[in-house]
Amino acid sequence: MKSGYQIVGKRVNRVDALAKALGKAKFTSDFKRQDMLIGKALFAKFPHAIIKGVDTAKAEQLEGVQAVLTAKDLPGRNGYGILVPDKPVIAEKKTKYEGDAVALVAAVSEEIAKKALGLIEVEYEVLPAYDDPRQAMKDDAIHIHEAHPAADKGNILTTVALDSGDVEKAFREADIIIENSYETPMVDHAYMETDVCMAEPDPLTGGLTLCSPQQAVYATKRCLAPVFGIPQNKIRTFCPIVGGGFGGKEDSVLDVSAMAGVLALKTKRPVYFELDREEVFRTTGKRHATYIKHRMAATKDGKITAVDVETILDKGAYTSMGGLNNPLMAVTQRTAMYAGGTYFIPNARARSHSVFTNHPYSCAFRGFGAPQAMFAVECQIDELAKALNMDPIELRLKNILRHGDRTIFGQVMKENRGLGLEECITKVKGRMDWDKSLDQGNGPVKKGKGIAVFMYGTGIPLLFEGASCYVNLELDGSVSVAVAATEMGQGIVTALTQTAAEALGVRYEDVNVTYSDTATAPDCGPTVGSRAAVVVGNAVLDGCNKLRERMLSVASKEFKKDPRDMDIKQGEVFIVGKPETTMPLAAIVSKAFITQVPLAAVGTWYPPQPSFRAEDGQGEPMHAYTFGVQAVEVEVDTETGELSVTRSVLACDVGKAINPSLVEGQMEGGAAMGIGWAILEEGFMNKGVMENASFHNFLIPTIKDLPELESIIVEHPNDLGPYGAKGIGEPPLIATAPAIRNAVCNALGISINTIPLTAVRILAAVKNQQAVGGGN
Amino acid sequence: MAANLNLKVNGQEYQIKVDPAKRLLDVLREDLGLTGTKEGCGEGECGTCSVILNGKLVNSCLVLALQADKADILTVEGLAENGKLHPLQQAFMKEGAVQCGYCTPGMLLAAKALLDSNSSPTKEEIKLAISGNICRCTGYDQIIRAVESVVKARERN
Repeated sequence: MKSGYQIVGKRVNRVDALAKALGKAKFTSDFKRQDMLIGKALFAKFPHAIIKGVDTAKAEQLEGVQAVLTAKDLPGRNGYGILVPDKPVIAEKKTKYEGDAVALVAAVSEEIAKKALGLIEVEYEVLPAYDDPRQAMKDDAIHIHEAHPAADKGNILTTVALDSGDVEKAFREADIIIENSYETPMVDHAYMETDVCMAEPDPLTGGLTLCSPQQAVYATKRCLAPVFGIPQNKIRTFCPIVGGGFGGKEDSVLDVSAMAGVLALKTKRPVYFELDREEVFRTTGKRHATYIKHRMAATKDGKITAVDVETILDKGAYTSMGGLNNPLMAVTQRTAMYAGGTYFIPNARARSHSVFTNHPYSCAFRGFGAPQAMFAVECQIDELAKALNMDPIELRLKNILRHGDRTIFGQVMKENRGLGLEECITKVKGRMDWDKSLDQGNGPVKKGKGIAVFMYGTGIPLLFEGASCYVNLELDGSVSVAVAATEMGQGIVTALTQTAAEALGVRYEDVNVTYSDTATAPDCGPTVGSRAAVVVGNAVLDGCNKLRERMLSVASKEFKKDPRDMDIKQGEVFIVGKPETTMPLAAIVSKAFITQVPLAAVGTWYPPQPSFRAEDGQGEPMHAYTFGVQAVEVEVDTETGELSVTRSVLACDVGKAINPSLVEGQMEGGAAMGIGWAILEEGFMNKGVMENASFHNFLIPTIKDLPELESIIVEHPNDLGPYGAKGIGEPPLIATAPAIRNAVCNALGISINTIPLTAVRILAAVKNQQAVGGGN
Repeated sequence: MAANLNLKVNGQEYQIKVDPAKRLLDVLREDLGLTGTKEGCGEGECGTCSVILNGKLVNSCLVLALQADKADILTVEGLAENGKLHPLQQAFMKEGAVQCGYCTPGMLLAAKALLDSNSSPTKEEIKLAISGNICRCTGYDQIIRAVESVVKARERN
């Protein structure tokens, strides 16, 4: 690998940090104008019900109301979705969750819009609501979708199957079998900026402009064009900076944009449509809850020989990113693919069923199914270690994937794509002083240590993968880059600025990256799947390299030298080895301008063609994998059940950190979110109604819930990544929950297999153990 | 019926007429155009709308505009003086305490309110002071480091 980078690998300040620190960086809602109508939705009163009638007459007569829409008033198809258009803009015959709109209102003020909602009368016939996918998948369950366009059978949307080796034989011959059930909760992304859309008809084109915080401007217009009955080229979708996404704003943007858009088309006026926090909780997407049965076979010396895993995913009411048949299996596919964790296991069977319920639709959420799958397998490894009386790290080192090993989905691991798991384990073990036992004292508070490891493929190759961008050299030597990626806090604009500056040999300050607007940039795919710095980064690299070659060719004529003997650094062109020969890049660009050398380029990149066979779940779905290790120390009060995470050490092999500060930002934020998922967060659903739709009782971590978060960056370069990079947005939270669960087991000697590990859950487990007379 | 409201915000006097039902948050954002103050939950749980009112940190979503009559208010837009960044703003940038930026204005003001009343807070006091402000991006470490670096710089001077 090339070393001695000028800008890549440096801790430069974020390009947007100053404006954000001044409070001057504008988010979507900061662009609200006085002339906009206010849009509101009447959401379902009952999560599962037949709509017998909707009477809007009184609402329509209220002064200041400009439009009241029901399902019969829509301009196009009453259905949308990223994978399949099964979610209605306005429910017509049935409600399937409490986030279904039954009517929409546009009015001159929020007060009038809210009053109008109260005047709409809806007659419902209430149906039993399903909270548990294990009930909903039974043969006698009511079909939540009467005629779903893609469901396999009844309420089962899809089943992903993975088979390798001879599982039956491996279990017959096993020295030891570990078998347990695990449950993980449905949780909200809890991004701080609530969902909002400003929709404005464009009288010049007859089209529509939609401004909304989101993660995929092209996917949004593709999904919604049929809803509006407008061709894709007349819809402009864009957003300014986004106040957090975490996967959720790939979907929730469709909800608010569809509703704002149809109201704008009806009234021919700009419409502002914002969800309040309670509406975000009740109506937008969530992380799939899972119910996992995991069997693991091993030899007595600790070699894992087989896994047999059944995962049932709570799909909620609509498909979203839950997964359809091959190749769009999405989250469901990931739970099967990662069912064997980061280990070489020659025999595997996994079945993942995605099942409709009357919950909010489950969608993409940081980790995309991997956190659920890794939770089960990483708990299982600790159970195996306990049964064999082995150290959990020693057992992991005995089984982890190494160069040449095949995953349970058939992909051969390669060091040249970055394989730094062992180094991560070694470094975390050292930092944690792993072999030193904790001082327990005599009080009710018990201490424990836990560890878990993970892998996570960069990108979303089975859905859509690849990126394009524009790169343009300006006559003053500065560079404009246009991408359709979204800046939601992760720092992609900064990382791409560094990538472009390094590739073209210009100063960091001389690159300007514009973003998230279909009017200015080509499709680069969604900003999801930990893909942007790698996949979009490679596209930017490609565009910059094209321009660099052109400028070196122009310069070679000026210097009368072979272009291969020339270089560009800090905006100066020079002969290699003769720094005194410099000429400003601006002068070369001007020369190019008048000699018919184009100054604009389209940069593109696609990964190697991915594969994942529907019949047995075998293939090479990702080009590279990020690896990591999370270790924690905890304290558990056996009298109150209170759990404190007192130490967190996370190591990630990121290939190459384009900006180590941004990488640490992702790692610390991911560990914090993982701690929240492990110990606090849980949507309480009662017959489809969310009982904790507020930050008052849906708890996410505050500073008081977290220890110092230690991060260790490991770099095993990916030869297909820009400067060796692999994805790091999602991975950091994947191993946090199992590490905490394993530490709690270590402290108490009790296995608790359901998260979050709330005081109530821990205390119940302690009491149960005391009742049966077990324990250390 | 609109009511008269007198405010001093970031050193500037305002005399405006407002709907008595309006929240201070809406007056700042809509009437004064100070959109740096954000709304995250509207019920005082997240702290994104924090401002300093007569020297005290408040959630501006829980304050009726008329309750702030004749008050002296500091919002994020008033932190920098004469084009010079407040040390907290510089530290937030340098330490990577800014990610999506939505909680940043409230965090800055929570930290400012702490430093105004306690010139050399301990780490635990810093944590307590920002515990009413939720950040979903950072894990808070960078924010604590940023505040600590300002405290250390003050102690040196």
